[in-house]
Amino acid sequence: MLKYLKKYWHWCLIAPLFMIGEIAMDLIQPDMMADIVDNGVLGYNLSLILTVGGEMILLVIFGGFCGIMSGVFANLASQNFGNDLRKDLFGKIMNLSFQQTDKITTGSLVTRLTNDVNQVQNMVNMLVRGIVRNSAMFVGGVFMLYRQSPQFSVVAACAIPFILFFVIFFMKKASKMFVVVQKKLDGVNNVMQEDVAGARVIKAYVKEDYEMGRFDEANTGLYKTNLKVQYLLAFMSPCMNIVLNVCTVAVIFVGGINIQSGGTTTPGEIMAALTYLAQILNGITFMANIFQTFTRSKASWDRINEVLSCDPAVQDGSVTAESEKTGEVEFKNVSFSYPNGSGKSVLENISFKVKRGESLGIIGTTGSGKSSLVNLIPRFYDATEGEVLVDGENVKDYPLTDLRDKIAIVLQKTELYSRPIEANIRWGKPEADPFEIKTAAEIAQADEFICNTPDGYYTQVAESGHSLSGGQKQRISISRAILKNPEILIFDDSTSALDLKTEANLNRALRDNFPNTTKILIAQRIASIKDMNHIAVLEDGKMTAFGTHEELLKSSDSYLEIYNSQLNGGVSVAE
Amino acid sequence: MPNEKIKEKLPRGFEKKDSAEDMKFKAPDPSAPGAPNAVNFGRRRGPGGPPGAAETEKPKELGKTLSQLVKYFKDSKTMFILLTAAVVAVTVASLFSPSIQGYAIDAIKDKNWDEMYRLLIELLSVLLLQVLFSLAQTLISAKLSQTVTKQMRHDLFKKIDNLPLKYLDTHSNGDIMSRMTNDVENISTTISQSMSSLISGVLTIIGTVAIMFGYCWQLTLITMVTVILTVVITKKMSKAMRKVYRQRSQMLGRLNGHSEEMITGYKSVVAYNQQDNVIKEFNETSDKLKDVSIKAEILGGSMGPIMNCISNIGFVIVAAFGGLFAYNELITIGTISAFIIYAKQFSRPINDLAQLYGSLQTALAGAERVFELIDYPDEDKSGDEDIKNVRGSLCFKNVNFSYIPDKQVLFDFNLNVKPGQKIALVGATGSGKTTVVNLLMRFYPVDSGDITIDGQSIYSIKRDKLRKSIAIVLQDTVLFSDTIEHNIKYSNLDASDEEMIYAAKTSNSAYFIEKLPEAYHSYLTHAGENLSQGQRQLLAIARAVLANPDILILDEATSSVDTKTEKQIQDAMVKLMENRTSLIIAHRLSTIQDADVIVVMDKGRVVETGSHDELLKKKGYYYSLYMTQFAGIKT
Repeated sequence: MLKYLKKYWHWCLIAPLFMIGEIAMDLIQPDMMADIVDNGVLGYNLSLILTVGGEMILLVIFGGFCGIMSGVFANLASQNFGNDLRKDLFGKIMNLSFQQTDKITTGSLVTRLTNDVNQVQNMVNMLVRGIVRNSAMFVGGVFMLYRQSPQFSVVAACAIPFILFFVIFFMKKASKMFVVVQKKLDGVNNVMQEDVAGARVIKAYVKEDYEMGRFDEANTGLYKTNLKVQYLLAFMSPCMNIVLNVCTVAVIFVGGINIQSGGTTTPGEIMAALTYLAQILNGITFMANIFQTFTRSKASWDRINEVLSCDPAVQDGSVTAESEKTGEVEFKNVSFSYPNGSGKSVLENISFKVKRGESLGIIGTTGSGKSSLVNLIPRFYDATEGEVLVDGENVKDYPLTDLRDKIAIVLQKTELYSRPIEANIRWGKPEADPFEIKTAAEIAQADEFICNTPDGYYTQVAESGHSLSGGQKQRISISRAILKNPEILIFDDSTSALDLKTEANLNRALRDNFPNTTKILIAQRIASIKDMNHIAVLEDGKMTAFGTHEELLKSSDSYLEIYNSQLNGGVSVAE
Repeated sequence: MPNEKIKEKLPRGFEKKDSAEDMKFKAPDPSAPGAPNAVNFGRRRGPGGPPGAAETEKPKELGKTLSQLVKYFKDSKTMFILLTAAVVAVTVASLFSPSIQGYAIDAIKDKNWDEMYRLLIELLSVLLLQVLFSLAQTLISAKLSQTVTKQMRHDLFKKIDNLPLKYLDTHSNGDIMSRMTNDVENISTTISQSMSSLISGVLTIIGTVAIMFGYCWQLTLITMVTVILTVVITKKMSKAMRKVYRQRSQMLGRLNGHSEEMITGYKSVVAYNQQDNVIKEFNETSDKLKDVSIKAEILGGSMGPIMNCISNIGFVIVAAFGGLFAYNELITIGTISAFIIYAKQFSRPINDLAQLYGSLQTALAGAERVFELIDYPDEDKSGDEDIKNVRGSLCFKNVNFSYIPDKQVLFDFNLNVKPGQKIALVGATGSGKTTVVNLLMRFYPVDSGDITIDGQSIYSIKRDKLRKSIAIVLQDTVLFSDTIEHNIKYSNLDASDEEMIYAAKTSNSAYFIEKLPEAYHSYLTHAGENLSQGQRQLLAIARAVLANPDILILDEATSSVDTKTEKQIQDAMVKLMENRTSLIIAHRLSTIQDADVIVVMDKGRVVETGSHDELLKKKGYYYSLYMTQFAGIKT
């Protein structure tokens, strides 16, 4: 963390300096006040009251100025610190591998970037100002009190252990309970989130009452814990106040006794002592607060650091991509299991080769490893065994960006951003002009519906694309991939929501416009892939057949089975 | 006009409409105000500034909102009275203690020791009373605010479960969530806190001023100078602060929106090598946030020192003039001591009250958003007839429907389904297939026409009864973060384990479930994100099977399932669906070709009906769809 603060060390240094100025002024005041009371008022010296009073006002204004300036510098330090940290963290997140994001989960990454950074930033601000301020207040207060009259410091010395005890007692108890509160709050939010997202299913199964019960349970739990914490905390300030009040009385009492027995204490001194005492005890309370923030932000910092210290699991290679585009893909005895999974093999010993401009269809049962297979090509994950080759080189030997520049993949779960359709397509090639974008959309069979929307290509895509139908979202993400004009085009079951006619048009357009692009297509429908140069059949992570449609009909039982499940009756029509 | 020229050149769909006039032809600059990303504004309201200084929104219908709000506090009337009593007691006690303290010091000065002891005991007891009452005040106000929060959350949630889908369609999840969390919290804490500080603030000010007048009116008037200073400066500062705080929460909203979207949509960022652009965009927003934050924090942070300064000036004024008056024997030193405390005591509530105004307004604006949701009409619940022994004949009579006015989706739609038939709906994307299902479930009301089950209008049947007799598997699978067992049993909470396993077998999901380490007790994290799309669909089908419905609807329920598995499901379901009506929507013709009746839809109208063979013979729309699928084989 110091690494981030180092850059702003001068501000971190100046802020406390000003702070000390402010505190010094605060501390001198009661003393001057005592002077005014004892010498000016009691000594009937009006000119002393006025001169000391005038000095006091000047000092107060100077103190205020110091206070503001220390705020300025503390903020400069903490905001710049937070900004640097935030930017680094985001950059790091964007360069994490899938393996790492799977483990931390995206939701948690978002919280780390927003809440946790904020927490740490607040802590820095507090650290720079608060600690200095309060320790100075405390030390200064004790010093001044002692200087006033040592007997008053005895009162303070008696009070401090009590205050410390209360502070530690409450903080310890409360911080444990805060964890529980956060958990309960998450519980309430989860039920809400699920219900908002799953409204249709809840309505369809008439589960409104059941959900209400589920929510009430979570809500009551939250209510109870919240109340418990608040009740606990409600006792904190009265306990502190009792100590403070007893001290006040004690100071007057001690002062009184002293005067009674012919001591040197003056009424003005008693008044000043009361002020210092309050300052000391408040200082302790504030320190406790700071300590609490500190422990909480320590947890935040640990969470941030976990991300920052992630070593990229996928290392860049050094082979420069050849200028000549080929787009050849080859799998050599590839096996794969998910790094965070149960260690079960998802793919076993897969080998095949697809040449430039050729097309490969992948078909297979649910959970047979189709998506996992294509994820290995752009190195979303690395093969556990064997080699994945692109243009004859192992994918691990390319710099990541070079490799991914060769490939465009359309994901099974479409990811659109809340910007205009035009910007979503442009994602594939930021410098594209409108004509290119339109052409890409035309090939993807998306142009027609886009033009029919009120704002055309400028139609805003709502949050994760709720305003568009499944088929429309798929076609926009296909346009995006086409615009990129890659060597290798991969569709991960991304035509499932298209009707057959649209899909056939898309396939034809792809064949006509991208004769030299290698195409890899995962599909459920035989019709989507039967014209491909090669078809791979996957079953339970193994490739059981590889060949053309005609070959597979003869050689592969499972292919034939799939074929029959889709086309029975089709033959009779053809006859 | 240069625009005209561009218009001619741009391809269709790129013409700038008036509304999009200011959008330049470049990747939209997310930082420009009014840029498309502005959609994210307010979706998540991040941590604001200190209460009162934060963005102040003005409530629109103050009276109505207030009266609704009062209702929530009505149930806790006794607590409210107790709270007021406690606040009054605390305030009175805090008014008295400084004066006793002052007398005690005077007693010391006069060397009147008996008086001093008496006063000290008095002081101690008053202070203890004050502590006791303030404890009561905190406890009561905690209870009050938590009770109100709980009730408000309950009401909101109840409303969410009863909202018509139309509302959910037009409001983002983030917006609804934010009302539920931020707004509710904001209201209850502000209201319960402000209530105490409002009462005690006003009382303290009145009491302090009165007592001060009692001591010495001249000194009181002079002290008032600081009050005027405080009011003027607070007002000026909070105005400036509101402005920067608003800017800051806007920037924060934009930053949060951007990062959330990019992190959840991270796969596409990586796949397209867009990291650098995305990071650059993030850094720009982050820098802007930093700049405005510094401004906001400095302004907010200056408030303390400035107030401190004013209160210290007050201190000097009291000391100087107090000294002067004491010199002239107008007052005693004890009075000066008391005055100093009183002057401090009332500068605080004035400060509080000034800030209170702002935070109250924010809370009321939040309350307005909450009540807007609570007041939204419930989903139509009409119909009170029971249906028993549903035979399952369905009839759509001249149904017209549109989700948004002027954009009709179904045109004069007619459909007749006999009991026990298997009906399939086919047609291009957007032809209205899902809409038919939505209407049958009464998710949306028809514009005109009627839908009947066994000859009975669905609007005369109890809505819940209607839905219970139908099981539906949706296009988008919804799973809950719970065990697989609970996810399947969701449709039938009383089902036995045998029934559940039967349902899992029928849906072909038993195979992969039993492979999981904890089988049916496996926990689905993140609502089942760890399952493949196909597996999620199989679970949803198992759920529908367990519901044991009279009518079954499958809306693209097997789109991510391979055809082989699908065939197995179909075979397993034959027995289950004997004598029951089923409605199937699918793009894959293999899914539907053995349906009794296939209904071909196009642009919201029925274009063809008949069995697979009949429709093929017709050589119409269905035939051409079918031929696309087999185009390659026959040549």
